[in-house]
Amino acid sequence: MAATAAHKFIFVLGISSLLHAAYSAAQHRAYLRITEQEFVGLPIDILIQGIVSLFVTMYGIMTLAGEFKEIRSTVDLESKTWETFRNCPSFYTFNHRGRALSPYYDPPLE
Amino acid sequence: MCAGRIKTAQRGTGEIVAFSESAVRNNAAVVEYCRTSMSALSGSTAGILGLTGFLGFGFYLFAVFGLWCLLLLKAGVRWEKYFTNRRTLLTNGFLGGLFVSFITFLIFEVSYSLKGTIPYSNL
Repeated sequence: MAATAAHKFIFVLGISSLLHAAYSAAQHRAYLRITEQEFVGLPIDILIQGIVSLFVTMYGIMTLAGEFKEIRSTVDLESKTWETFRNCPSFYTFNHRGRALSPYYDPPLE
Repeated sequence: MCAGRIKTAQRGTGEIVAFSESAVRNNAAVVEYCRTSMSALSGSTAGILGLTGFLGFGFYLFAVFGLWCLLLLKAGVRWEKYFTNRRTLLTNGFLGGLFVSFITFLIFEVSYSLKGTIPYSNL
């Protein structure tokens, strides 16, 4: 379930639907204020639109958030060769006695 | 050893499994990202829908449970490949999410009750 353009589209769709629900709610409250009624609750269609678009957005975010990795450590290691696995850059030694074997080696002057 | 650190834990069946810590941390980061987004979104939805008091808290519980279902849907049938425990997936970060949720809820609710409009707009 990699993040694709379709998932980004789902996310944008959900956010705009949520904003549309907010706009509808604001209009409903404005209507109530003008007609001087008390606010008891929103119409059922705005409620449903809000909740559904919350989950649509959440589905989009969840796919955009990234992939889960398998946590068993063997999965991580079995794709590596022994050479890559053994390679520890922090423990490299460049200045050792092996340089004395080089034909270009100049012994230090005492 | 230069590969990531490895932790061991006992599964319910008694067998000991070695976990790669970097993978565990990666999964926790994905879940945390989803949880923060879900808290912010559910808070603003509660604000939009005008759910106050216990109804709003109930909505947060509903959202947390919905997120749990979505995460298990994403993990698939073999969720044991990605998580050590299914229940901590539900309960972790509950209070932190509640705080984020409450803040975004307040933004909408205050804006509706004072101005009667969507926050930061001049409708």
